[in-house]
Amino acid sequence: MMQNGSMQPITGKELEYIADCLSNEDLLTKQCAATASSTQNPALKQVLSQHIQMHKQHADKLIGALQQHQPLAPTQPSN
Amino acid sequence: MNSSSTGSFMPDADLAYTILADLKRTVREYSTATTESNCPTVRQMFTDLTNSTLKLQGELYNVMQQNNLYPAPGKALQSDINKQIQTANQTKQECEQFVQQKNINTVPGSPMGQSYGSPLNTSEYSSNPYVR
Repeated sequence: MMQNGSMQPITGKELEYIADCLSNEDLLTKQCAATASSTQNPALKQVLSQHIQMHKQHADKLIGALQQHQPLAPTQPSN
Repeated sequence: MNSSSTGSFMPDADLAYTILADLKRTVREYSTATTESNCPTVRQMFTDLTNSTLKLQGELYNVMQQNNLYPAPGKALQSDINKQIQTANQTKQECEQFVQQKNINTVPGSPMGQSYGSPLNTSEYSSNPYVR
């Protein structure tokens, strides 16, 4: 899925974005689930149910990136 | 609007709008993250997630629009579009002059300084937006 040649240790900024985006995906998943369960509108229910799967996939991608970069990260601050 | 379930937490339109607004914010955050990435694989991931989230936002918007959960925005008047075309053509010509002054060879195939199509023939299309 990701090519190894161009893989570099992630920056602090990248780490913060990944963390923020994970919390966005978590919130969106819960909002979709809550709304899909309360709505009487079948079209809305259907699209939100599909979106739950996508938000879970997004979260998995973000976690995967953290795992892939984990071994590359330095253990001491460099500058 | 169409909120049939009286005992629900919030009307469908409000609940869906909350999600739509959060999708919009998430798209923005993904695209900012893309532009501020260092690692190419991280950048590619954020690019993909931006596109995927844009798609979700568009899908939800369409469903809301079709189910009357989102009020349709008002249409722009033809006279306002004509005004913008005029301004755009003028800006474009001034920009072309600026580029020429700098002696930069522009890539052929994209001729600058040429006006975009002038407003449609008013005999075919009524300029009055309320008459079809």
